[in-house]
Amino acid sequence: MAGREAVKAGCKIARPVLSVDHCQAHRRVMGLYRAYFRYIPYLLKHMDIPKNPRDCKMKLREYFYQNAYVTDLRVIDILVIKGFMNLKEITHQWQQKGHVMAHWHPTREPKPCDFIGKFLANED
Amino acid sequence: MAAVNFVRSAFNGLLRKSTTYNSATICRLSTVALQQKIPIKSIASAYNFEHTSNVVLNQRQYATGPVHKITESEIQDRVLKVCKAYDKLVSVQLSLDSHFMTDLGLDSLDHVEIIMAMEDEFGFEIPDGDAERLVRPRDIVQYIADKEDIYD
Repeated sequence: MAGREAVKAGCKIARPVLSVDHCQAHRRVMGLYRAYFRYIPYLLKHMDIPKNPRDCKMKLREYFYQNAYVTDLRVIDILVIKGFMNLKEITHQWQQKGHVMAHWHPTREPKPCDFIGKFLANED
Repeated sequence: MAAVNFVRSAFNGLLRKSTTYNSATICRLSTVALQQKIPIKSIASAYNFEHTSNVVLNQRQYATGPVHKITESEIQDRVLKVCKAYDKLVSVQLSLDSHFMTDLGLDSLDHVEIIMAMEDEFGFEIPDGDAERLVRPRDIVQYIADKEDIYD
């Protein structure tokens, strides 16, 4: 009884989502990067946003660097799938310019860092 | 002119009782020569073109001229030009054997961007499996030379 449960726990290998090893996962991630990179000029053409290609590429890099620490294959696969879903929404214009501009937080006020700014905002 | 007559005669045939129409009065030089079994070269020489020796009569030539075969040195120049144009490699001394990751300090996303720039330059798609192996400009030059069938 206890032996059977121990065997069951020992045999719990997580079933892969899409990729079996890191090499495949790396390729999927690079494929996602390429897909977004190639779409950037069309993104700027279809969605009339006040950004240039360099800004978009930097933002893309930022998102990829945010998740650079992930090592679990299933998590990487899920992130890649979500990335492709987002790209599909953008290409089909189900997302509009507001959704795309939200990535740059246009309405966020930067917090004051210097003394004068903090004094005027009455912050310690 | 001959074409207009042909069309007119064809339509006349359709509108009137008979379905026959006059046979075409258009004939090309080659068909005439074929019927009369005159070699084309003599006709060309009869017209006395100055560039007869350069004209290959059996091969079709297009406006762009003869097919330009790319050389390996040209590929090297173009690859280095694309690498230098990349913004992280502008003021870095670059050779054909410098490794992108270890020598030039680029990461995998930069590498992918450089490969995409090469795709744009040379006009063909480089798949991910091959792109992973292209870590030096020399590898890229060799890969393109293989694709374009250059055996220098």
